[in-house]
Amino acid sequence: MGNKESPLVIAKDIAKRYGDFVALHPLNVQVDSGEFFGVFGPNGAGKSTFMKLLTGQLKPSIGEIEVLGINAKKNPQKLKANIGIVPESESPPSFLTPVEFLDFVARLRGVENRDEKVEYWLDWFGLEEKRDTMCKDLSKGQRQKVMLACAFIHKPKLLFLDEPFANLDPIYQRKCREWLMDHVANGGTIFLCSHVLEMAERMCNRMAIINHGRVLAAGKVSDLKQSSDETLEDVFIRLVGKSIEEVESMDGDSSEEE
Amino acid sequence: MSLSTTISSRNWEDVVDVDGNLLKPVDTSAINTTSDDQTLLDPLTGWSAFSATFKVMFLEEWRKSIDFAKARQVLTFPLMLALITMVTTIGLQFLVGSGAAQSSDIDAKTFSWSELRFALHLPLFMFSMGMGMFAFKGRDAILKRTGEKMELLAAPALQPLNNSIAHFSYFIKDLVFYVVMILTPIIFGMALGLLLDSYTAINTPLEWSSLPWTWAAMVLTLAQGLAVAFLVSVLWLRGKPFTTFGPALVVIAGIAVGLGLIPWDQAMLGLAVQTKQSLAWVVGGLVITILAGGFASSLILDDFDVHVVQRADLFEPIYNKLGFLGNSELRLLVAKEFVDLIRSGTMKKMLISYAVPLLVLLGLAWLVDFAEFPIPFNLLSYAPFLGFFGFNFYSWLTILDSPDFMNGLPLRLTQLIRAKVVVYFIATSWISVLFFILMAWRLDEWISLPTGLIVMICNSIYIVALTAYLMGMRPNKAIFDSSIMIWFYLGTVAPLLMLFLLSFTQGDVALYGNWWDRVGQDGLDATSTYFDPEQMRGGYYGIIGVSGVLLILSAILWKMMDKKWGDKPFEN
Repeated sequence: MGNKESPLVIAKDIAKRYGDFVALHPLNVQVDSGEFFGVFGPNGAGKSTFMKLLTGQLKPSIGEIEVLGINAKKNPQKLKANIGIVPESESPPSFLTPVEFLDFVARLRGVENRDEKVEYWLDWFGLEEKRDTMCKDLSKGQRQKVMLACAFIHKPKLLFLDEPFANLDPIYQRKCREWLMDHVANGGTIFLCSHVLEMAERMCNRMAIINHGRVLAAGKVSDLKQSSDETLEDVFIRLVGKSIEEVESMDGDSSEEE
Repeated sequence: MSLSTTISSRNWEDVVDVDGNLLKPVDTSAINTTSDDQTLLDPLTGWSAFSATFKVMFLEEWRKSIDFAKARQVLTFPLMLALITMVTTIGLQFLVGSGAAQSSDIDAKTFSWSELRFALHLPLFMFSMGMGMFAFKGRDAILKRTGEKMELLAAPALQPLNNSIAHFSYFIKDLVFYVVMILTPIIFGMALGLLLDSYTAINTPLEWSSLPWTWAAMVLTLAQGLAVAFLVSVLWLRGKPFTTFGPALVVIAGIAVGLGLIPWDQAMLGLAVQTKQSLAWVVGGLVITILAGGFASSLILDDFDVHVVQRADLFEPIYNKLGFLGNSELRLLVAKEFVDLIRSGTMKKMLISYAVPLLVLLGLAWLVDFAEFPIPFNLLSYAPFLGFFGFNFYSWLTILDSPDFMNGLPLRLTQLIRAKVVVYFIATSWISVLFFILMAWRLDEWISLPTGLIVMICNSIYIVALTAYLMGMRPNKAIFDSSIMIWFYLGTVAPLLMLFLLSFTQGDVALYGNWWDRVGQDGLDATSTYFDPEQMRGGYYGIIGVSGVLLILSAILWKMMDKKWGDKPFEN
């Protein structure tokens, strides 16, 4: 179960900046083992950038990141091999079939009993009939299933999920949700990014709300509510709405002009 | 279980100074994470990673090719190539002066074997240079990975794969693919030509023993071109000061070869192999080119950043300048295409890809003098070729952006194709005209300039209309589709040949009147015998007539596009 002495993820003062545009302000985070942690925010809040930094997909402008004892800046390949990542909008390669892509990913990670695991996850996601169909010819939901299978195939303890249920039908949403809950109950850890607040209430131990690249509030879901009547949606609108007002009152335009 | 996950933000000014440097270094001793008893996997590296990636990339390339054409049509492409090479092999006897009709003054009027080798390797080298900008392809794949189409070259962004290994795999994959699909069928075609020599009365001046050397030499030329272009593209992407290294390298190499400091047959390794027929050169050359590709790969960074840059409105200013297109959807689409062209940063690359073939034309003019070719080239001879190069530019335009989002808009694919044709003309016409004026100045044929411009423009309109009609949004994939390429060859070669031959009536030497008799009798040794003003006039009307017919055909193709592409989905 959770290892309190040593967390799985630590990021110190990580930030991402493109010229004058700040995608993510300096941020400190520590994620413990056994946590189902959710980061929520409106579109363009910086959630995906945050997750890409933690998973070694992007290098931070400043700060240090360590995940599972691996330095994300220095050894992103090793990190990617040992965590599961479900990206927000990427698809599997268009001209490979699900079975080919899963096999390729399993090989890259050095997974043992590859064929068995590929078959297991194809079956789990109901993709057997589409196993030989090129990914470009799959529906968006089916492509998302392939991406989820890629993240699960090596059974990592730590999963980073960015809008994981996008385009999934309700049956697989429930199936995946239950699997993720079981995963955490069995000692797994999940870092989730979404703007679907229902997921926070159903699944997360703790959550943070971010906007314009800053953390507005964080804690247990119940602690964020000011009263028992307040819904999470009310909390979200209260915090984000306030943040928008603050930003609008600020002077200066950081955009780069041509 | 007690969890204590924490997260908090700080202000920039609390963390960094005005120059963007950290005020206080991060205390790394306070960073101590655990794998939580998970046995950590070691991702594949080195040869294993290359091998796994190469296999799926090769498969991907094959699938991409048959995605547009059917497998059968893709497979007939090498066959067609082999047949064309077979015919060329038979024709070699006329080029080298061993044809029965050729008897006197052969050295002056035919090509030597070394010139022919040069003519074989130079275009191949140019082709491979054009295809080898892998660093640009990799960057494009990373930038477009959130779109509908995903390529394996973008896999390192998400998967535990080193970007350098992915690029090296791509380099080797392309090399092998071209060897299998293009070079080997060419050698097969030469072998067929030689077989005819054995079983018929046809004489082919090639030896069986030269085929393996030719194959190895072509592979080396291809590999060298791919590796050099790869290296140049990597250096360009690394930014200053490396950006200047690539072009400087090419210019220095060009000057060194031009001044004779590096002999031609050693500047191109394949040419050296074909001349020397040395196994050591084959092995050495292959090692050098693969090491060069490996070196270029090692310079590729694991950079998957897609920079967030805000831009001033470009669409409306461009739209406003396109008033001559009326208020149709075409005007909207043309404006959008121009925004894509400028914002994607490919304008320069595309202009270069258009200008390079024009320089090849200049090279052709040089070759004509060099080889004392007996056919009277003049300004009008070059005009149809300028139009032909529109194919390249149009191909670039079709891969600028994924058009899939247009499926949900009240538009038809034909409108987008037409918009790209219009963009092509607006973007390139000035280059063609400028280049043509330069040619008129060089050849001192100002009097032919107006007619030449008419021929060039008509031909240009026709070639792009034909390309757009036959290939739609996927000209790059159609090159392996023999059913399309046959029509494309017929549709382009026939008018090109007609205009080319008719142009000979307009110079100071008239071969047109008896060209068939003369060439039939003397091959490339043929010379002109008389100058006939009547035929000159006839030839002129012929040129104008053919150009007019091409314009009419363009209009017909323009109309027929609706039927062929109108109900097709937007995809490239």
